[in-house]
Amino acid sequence: MTPYLFLAPGLLLFAVFRLYPLLEGLRLSLTNARLGRATYQYVGLANYARLADDTRFHVSLGNTAFYTVASTLPVLALPLLLALALNRGRLRNLLRSLFFFPFTLSVVTVGLAWLWLLDPVVGPVNYYLRTLGVPARSWLADPQTAMWAIIATTVWWVTGYYLVVYLAGLQDIPRDLYEAAALDGAGGWRSFWTITLPLLRPVLLFVVVTHVIGSFQLFGQVFVLTGGGPGDATRTVVQHLYETAFQNFFQFGVASAMAWVLFAIVLVFSVLQFRLLRGHTEF
Amino acid sequence: MATGPRRRRDAEGLALTLALLALAVLWLLPIAWVVATSLKPTENIVRLPPEWIPWPATAEHYREVLFSSSRTARLGRAFLNSLVIALGTVAVVVLTAAMAAYPLARLRFRGRHVVFAVLVGSLMIPNAVVLVPLYVLTQRLGWLSTYQGLIVPEAATTFAFGVFLLRQFFLTMPGELEDAARIDGANAWQVFTRIVLPLSQPVLAALAIFAFRSAWNDFLWPLIAVNRPEMFPLPVALALLRGAYAAESYGPIMAGAALSAVPLLVVFVVANRRIVEGVRLSGLKG
Repeated sequence: MTPYLFLAPGLLLFAVFRLYPLLEGLRLSLTNARLGRATYQYVGLANYARLADDTRFHVSLGNTAFYTVASTLPVLALPLLLALALNRGRLRNLLRSLFFFPFTLSVVTVGLAWLWLLDPVVGPVNYYLRTLGVPARSWLADPQTAMWAIIATTVWWVTGYYLVVYLAGLQDIPRDLYEAAALDGAGGWRSFWTITLPLLRPVLLFVVVTHVIGSFQLFGQVFVLTGGGPGDATRTVVQHLYETAFQNFFQFGVASAMAWVLFAIVLVFSVLQFRLLRGHTEF
Repeated sequence: MATGPRRRRDAEGLALTLALLALAVLWLLPIAWVVATSLKPTENIVRLPPEWIPWPATAEHYREVLFSSSRTARLGRAFLNSLVIALGTVAVVVLTAAMAAYPLARLRFRGRHVVFAVLVGSLMIPNAVVLVPLYVLTQRLGWLSTYQGLIVPEAATTFAFGVFLLRQFFLTMPGELEDAARIDGANAWQVFTRIVLPLSQPVLAALAIFAFRSAWNDFLWPLIAVNRPEMFPLPVALALLRGAYAAESYGPIMAGAALSAVPLLVVFVVANRRIVEGVRLSGLKG
């Protein structure tokens, strides 16, 4: 009996506020529920069919996919490069803390800071670029650059977190492996490819999966920096879901269908990445 | 004989460290810019070239966002709201997750593998997916615009991660002390509260910091679950503060942004090692 008593409070919390909403969302996605409507009917897959015709939803999906793909390489590589460098130099703990600090800020704080930095007229970014001969741009108001600005902001925000993850992974690699490789005449580059990278595989997997799951939920940065604009150039799935459910006509059924499409995509990607990156290496 | 190459390696290491320090300073410039802006009198804020030293300095923007009643969102109150919500979430998460992780790590009973698998699997549920039903549920409970309406769903979101983190730690604890206590006649609850919890302080602190950070910084859920301005937590109040001012009024907005960073900065300076340890345990041992 004892184990169940220990588990009870947490599992109750989890079942009511996590599991139930997940399944209830699936049910709602099959109805025409709206905020404030007392009764509603089951409409089968009509909400999903509507999404197939909803061009704004398609645009949102496309933008979210673009963001995910374009941000993955910098988020994977930049912290790794930093971690490798930190691991060789001195003052490791101090440097780690300095790079980590932006990650303690909220997405709104980060967004507001970059909104000001990127201000087209009086912002410092454009000022310094101008002195370097780069013409000033409205980074956030230009459909060509808006999503890249959001990516840059996010990379700045999360790099410190992944840096800590990588550093921990690097420190778990036994020193003598490198010494043995050095005795065999392997240089730094060679031992990176044959020792560091293979042994970091679980860490890389963790970083990719975490980042991709997070990317599909991109919302805060966009809400603060662009509001989804210009036009719909940075509109994301979660933003579209949020507006469908809580701004325009409160269509809970349609929004729930979007949520489950999002969930399905995240699941498929996570499973694929596990398959792909886990391979047959076991640690 | 070996001093030549070693000295060169030392010199390389020093150069690398200096380059990294320079990069780190560059990396933190956005934060310096926020702080500098928040301390400048309004007329100095938009000057070009950018002035990085806020001189003359003023606290007028801080006074305004904290105490002025003329604006829609008062950050002083929002700051307190965020503190209540974050500390409440920490209390609920740490207690429930520790209680659940203990039997999952240390006791044998039917169904423990299933429970753990469901919890770990749930880490892949995007928060946005449960948004609408969670709203409907919270509304039915009458919890919109209340502290519990923010604390309880927030805690439920972090719970599974907490169990995962603590279970990893409990698994590595030596069992002798527990056995000894049991032989002395302690029941499971006594073993848990007198032996296991005191030995787990570092990891409990790591979880507390993690939960504090997610609750303090969460934006999407409070954005929809609160519609009374006096109940806004900081991120929501800040985002709406931006709308309340003309676009060029960066002074008060940056004062708000700087204020919102203070509690985690304090936690970060005091408990740096716990944070790193938490990231380490959560990311790698799975």
